[in-house]
Amino acid sequence: MAGVGYFPPTMKAPSGLPSSPSRWRSGRALGWLAALTFLAPASADAAAKLRGKVDGFRNLLNPVWAEARDPKQHGYSFREPVATVRAEFRRLFPHAPKEICVAAFAASPQKAPPPVLVRVGGGRTTPVTIVVPPGTRLTFQNTDPFKHRLHGVGIPTFQPADTARAMTREWSVPGAGVFEIRDELAPSLRMWVIADPTVAAIAYPSMKGDFALTVEEPGEYTVQAYFAGKKVGPALPVTVKDADLDLTKTPLKVGDEKAAAAADKAEADKDKAAAAEDGDKSGAGK
Amino acid sequence: MVLSRFWYALLGLVLGAALFLLGIASSMYNRSGLRARAEGLSSDAQVVSWYLRDDARQRSAQLIPFALESDVGKYLQKSNESEGKVPEDARAKLTQALTRVNAQIPKEAGFDSVFVVDQHGRVVAYLGYAQASGMDDFELGGYPVVADALHGYVRDDTLVLDRMYRVVARPVEYDLASMPAGAIIGARVIDDRFARELSSRTGAAIAFYANGQRAAAGSPVDFQTANLDAIVGDLTDLEQDKDYKEKGRSAVREIAGMIAVQYTRLPGEAWQLGAGYAVARQPASVSGPLGFFGHADEKDKKAGNWPIALLVALVAGGLGIAFSVLEHTRPLRVFKTEAEKFAAGSVEQLTPSRFRGLFRKIAADVNDGVDKQLAKGGGPRRGPADFKEVLGDIPDQPAMSAFSLPGDGVADAVAPSGPSSPQPASSARSGPGRALPSPPGAKKPRPPAPGGAASPPAPPAHLDATMPEGGLTGWGTGAPDEAEWQEVFQEFVATKQQCGENIDGFTYEKFAERLRKNRDTLVQKYGAKRVKFGVHVKDGKAALKANPIKE
Repeated sequence: MAGVGYFPPTMKAPSGLPSSPSRWRSGRALGWLAALTFLAPASADAAAKLRGKVDGFRNLLNPVWAEARDPKQHGYSFREPVATVRAEFRRLFPHAPKEICVAAFAASPQKAPPPVLVRVGGGRTTPVTIVVPPGTRLTFQNTDPFKHRLHGVGIPTFQPADTARAMTREWSVPGAGVFEIRDELAPSLRMWVIADPTVAAIAYPSMKGDFALTVEEPGEYTVQAYFAGKKVGPALPVTVKDADLDLTKTPLKVGDEKAAAAADKAEADKDKAAAAEDGDKSGAGK
Repeated sequence: MVLSRFWYALLGLVLGAALFLLGIASSMYNRSGLRARAEGLSSDAQVVSWYLRDDARQRSAQLIPFALESDVGKYLQKSNESEGKVPEDARAKLTQALTRVNAQIPKEAGFDSVFVVDQHGRVVAYLGYAQASGMDDFELGGYPVVADALHGYVRDDTLVLDRMYRVVARPVEYDLASMPAGAIIGARVIDDRFARELSSRTGAAIAFYANGQRAAAGSPVDFQTANLDAIVGDLTDLEQDKDYKEKGRSAVREIAGMIAVQYTRLPGEAWQLGAGYAVARQPASVSGPLGFFGHADEKDKKAGNWPIALLVALVAGGLGIAFSVLEHTRPLRVFKTEAEKFAAGSVEQLTPSRFRGLFRKIAADVNDGVDKQLAKGGGPRRGPADFKEVLGDIPDQPAMSAFSLPGDGVADAVAPSGPSSPQPASSARSGPGRALPSPPGAKKPRPPAPGGAASPPAPPAHLDATMPEGGLTGWGTGAPDEAEWQEVFQEFVATKQQCGENIDGFTYEKFAERLRKNRDTLVQKYGAKRVKFGVHVKDGKAALKANPIKE
């Protein structure tokens, strides 16, 4: 799946979302697909697609999972690698379709899109990182069978409040900047909202890294990948004319292999030390 | 009384020492109990921690059959290839596979819920989690435990969702050249059943808590599980505990004197949410020396060696009683017996040598007192007169009754004591009405009577017969002992005044005349040589008594 285009005007407004589980299942699926694929631009005829590729995202490290693996965080009583799983897969790289956001920035400010649906469930939000213009209204929908208590870190307009199962909560991005959303009841849940007035389109890559941006107007754009609230990889300037653009030949390299390998080695050393310490403790305990 | 007093003092010392020792013992017991309780609680907390970890490890092994089930990997891979929606056939096949494998797992080693998650984090199939029924896009991929499993790790976690769960996860591999096809997750609900099972296997009273509430509790049979509810009120202060905050385990805390608890954070996400478990023990302190009785069980009471305690108590009590009998009861009885003999006239005096200690002194004092009274002429008698003994043989029809002497109001009453021979004091102590001997050297010469009359010898006996008022009229003549009547008159007048009687017109001359007549009558009637008069009070009035004396 590749996300294409930006902010669907036909996406359901949050107020129109059904509230019962049986009803919102269908609406949720439609809303999320709409949010990710950014269907139906206002002027479909003029829209152009920028097909590209994100490379090296497996060299990134999900900060939440990386933090949780630290023994000092007491996140587990035992954690052991399965020997048959290759080391390259044991790296805690992000789930790109939800965590890496590729945005196209125009030269001029853009209008705030219709409300964007953000699903809250499974220990994270979907998407985890999103780039929107200031003033965009986000609708957080609880897709878990239990409540959440979302709040914005240091955001006065987003105080902790319960969102029951299948219910929604809305919040408008107050201005430009990077905002972090957390859940008091689920420490692993962290979301980043990057607000930039010039963002024209966003897309989420597939598991293979492919993505497709849909911009409505021809012009000069800059394509940038975001991960965990931060830019990753270089910005890619593009000029959009009437035709679609193929950017796959110049993939966005968001993660560095050498840095990741060094991080892996450091992590392996840390695991060994932790295992040795654990062994010492067990021996002492005997 | 020396032995008794020594025994009392000894018992007092032993009792005081026993109380002192009990105080020391209770303090030592409490201190030792406090230390043992702290060690016990730490041990309980450690055992529970080990058990949770070991249980998680063992249950993670139970996930292997799921991961090795061919359909699980195959249909997970199929689900991974569909980024938009989980294929329905994959859901069905995986559900069947889960059910199939789960049926082969022993119940005690199984899970309350099992989930199969694909690479996208979506729950493709599950068992035992009705809350997610109908939620097609239910997912778990954001939780670190699931993410770790999807990246090739086996690990555990404690999640606080709608309830608390102990979770283990492991990867499901399909193509070894690729990343794991998904993850299999097993979860156990931390509820009362879980806590009871944990308690039965570790012997600890344990309560799990999350979000400031007790989530589950279990305890041994001798522990009141309801007491574990007390931790709820303590949870708010728990965050102030430095050890708990930094190391995840609190110091031993006592709640309302009911239970002592130690809190431990649960590993996993629950750690950050302040969820954990508390192990508790009931306090084993005693409030004082008598507090031991409240805490002693049947085994303790059996260890108390009742026979020896009873024997010691009986011996101590018996010794006390023996000393008391020996030094108190027996001398008192001897004294009582001798006093009864003395009262009955069987003996002439108390024999101090037969007594011991204070009784000897009392006997000597009694003897001295009697002698002194006799030396003064005796006191008023409090019993009927034995006329025969005092006066000798009395005619059946006396010519004049000592009680019917006509009076003229001079004297209210005169009681003739009857004649008696003056005898040595020591010979007249054999019965009531007889004078007791004076102790040697205790005799005092009677003061000379007014008028130069010779002092008569001490009256050997006296008659306590009361004469009616005016009964001295017609008293016979006798020895001229009127010299002492003046003293009798003065005493009589004083007594009448003390009794509130009228003495107007009452003169010595009249008084002496009446005494003279009565004396003469008695002398004539009984052949007494003389009559001695005394004053006493009868029925609230002054009265005279007459002692005819035969010499």
